[in-house]
Amino acid sequence: MSLDEIWLFLQQGLLSGLVTGSVYALLAIAIVAVFKTTDVPNFAQGEMLMMAGYVALSLLLLAHLPYVAVIPLTVAVMAAGGALFQRVVMERVTGSRGVGVQLVIATLGLAYVLKGLVRQTGLGDTPRSLPSLFSSDTVMIGDAALTQLDIAIFAVAVVVMVLIYLMFTYTRIGKAMRAVGMNPRAAQIVGVRLSRIRMMVWALAGLISAIAALLITPKVLVTPDIAHIAILAYAAAIVGGFTSLPGAVVGGLLIGVVENMVGLFISTNAIVVAPFLAILVTLIVRPQGLLGGKVQVKKV
Amino acid sequence: MKKRFSPDQLALLVLLTVLCVLPFTVTGYVLYVVNLLMVFVVLALGMHVVIGEAGQFALSHTAFYGIGIYTAGLINTSWHPPFVVSILAGGLLSAVLGYVIGFLALRMRDIYLALATFAFGEAMQWVFLNWESATNGSNGMRMQPAQLFGLTLTNDLQAYPFVVAIAALMLWVTVWLSRSQFGSALRAVRESDVAAMAMGINARAMKQAAFVISAAFAGIAGGMYTLFISFIHPESLGFQTTILILTMVVVGGIGSVRGAVAGAIAFGIISELLRQALSIQEILYGAILLGFMMFKPRGLFAGSKKRAAKAPAAHAQQGGTA
Repeated sequence: MSLDEIWLFLQQGLLSGLVTGSVYALLAIAIVAVFKTTDVPNFAQGEMLMMAGYVALSLLLLAHLPYVAVIPLTVAVMAAGGALFQRVVMERVTGSRGVGVQLVIATLGLAYVLKGLVRQTGLGDTPRSLPSLFSSDTVMIGDAALTQLDIAIFAVAVVVMVLIYLMFTYTRIGKAMRAVGMNPRAAQIVGVRLSRIRMMVWALAGLISAIAALLITPKVLVTPDIAHIAILAYAAAIVGGFTSLPGAVVGGLLIGVVENMVGLFISTNAIVVAPFLAILVTLIVRPQGLLGGKVQVKKV
Repeated sequence: MKKRFSPDQLALLVLLTVLCVLPFTVTGYVLYVVNLLMVFVVLALGMHVVIGEAGQFALSHTAFYGIGIYTAGLINTSWHPPFVVSILAGGLLSAVLGYVIGFLALRMRDIYLALATFAFGEAMQWVFLNWESATNGSNGMRMQPAQLFGLTLTNDLQAYPFVVAIAALMLWVTVWLSRSQFGSALRAVRESDVAAMAMGINARAMKQAAFVISAAFAGIAGGMYTLFISFIHPESLGFQTTILILTMVVVGGIGSVRGAVAGAIAFGIISELLRQALSIQEILYGAILLGFMMFKPRGLFAGSKKRAAKAPAAHAQQGGTA
């Protein structure tokens, strides 16, 4: 491999990595937000993404709706679905004295139901991708070639992240979510309604899943297997520290870049183990993650 | 105490009688299924140790199962030792790998074990698929039959007594562990690791030990598999198998040995019946997991012991949404 080639690969890996990484970052934000407020790592995040892909696909291809209608509908359906799951299932599990293990198992149950449903309908038999709104004309940045679609994905993802940041910083609901994340009991005392906030957070997770699915599915085929993308998002969340929203963004971008570099320099076959290696390296070198901070000991 | 165990002893007696009579009355296929159920029992017992006793969440059971299968299979194929050696080798390798993963993952939040083991499981399936020189990759691997001092196990009937014996042994080990001081320590950690530490229990070491034991169980279950099956494909070593075992333990009752055994038998049969209908299996397992978590979170065989002392603490932790 010549020096020129390495330089080209580095540029290409970095830029392509930032594009896919921005989608991982979005999903990692959803995982971290849910973990902070409800204390459960959402193992159904990948399946929520997949579900969103299929909702959009069926609205487009089966109901023949135009894109203008498909985008808000998909987002609304997923947000409502997330809120409903928290309200109907998770609330109930918490209520029947469910702690950690039970809540995690409930999300695994959701993951399986969603996956089975998609398989059962037969929609998953023919892998399809969403028609793209943007052309796949190449844009050269430095020596790296990106498509217009790539740039649109990155731009939309960044805008969404900024909106989420603004929501957490300036709106009442965002502040309440942060308060619940820091100390649910204290938040309750000052008048935050826990169950409502947790519903909103799950709705946010659904909304983010919908946006991520709409962004990534013109690029990858919608199959039941796209749930695997969530593994990269978990890796991103762990690298970022699992309780830090900025950490999730940094982690997501980093994982995207690492994944693309592994694909370019080692082999496309090795991409699958990249997230595992990222998790492993984080656990060895810096177990609290990049921006995780200290772990608090829970009161007995 | 004596009185409480008598239904258990009765159930055990019935089970043993059935297991003794079976080989003389049924055909090969039923014996194959029973052998498979015994493997599931050991897998479920292993998961019981880490989730039920220690309250830790590990999702790499299938990976260790696979390591057990490939290790025992490869050793049987190349050296033909007595099968006890190859099974122990698989269990040992799983335990060592489990030690490394547990050591890394348990330094942080409890939930990291779940995430790290989830990723480890996916990575191991990838290794099974891509390490072509050892596992023959996606073509699947053919294994030589297991041997014991000149006796070659070539069918389900020959393997049956050994499979049942190993399952019984592992059941005994689980019950013994659970009743030992070590078991009490694990449960103390499960209820509250801070309180356990205050009583001088090294919580992290206990979690680690539970995870290593569980990995060893899964590795041994893999070795049992090689006694009556001569072919393995990585496709069957994915996350869905971990979920199947998890369903067994959860529905049977988290923390209950008899629950793990009953769950393994029930869901082993269901999964064999629904072998062709993957999507139905997924919906069914998912719905069962959701339903049990919502309405019977401690499973069917949950001990009747009151956890009144735990209630206020859990209530406070969850912010009192109950």
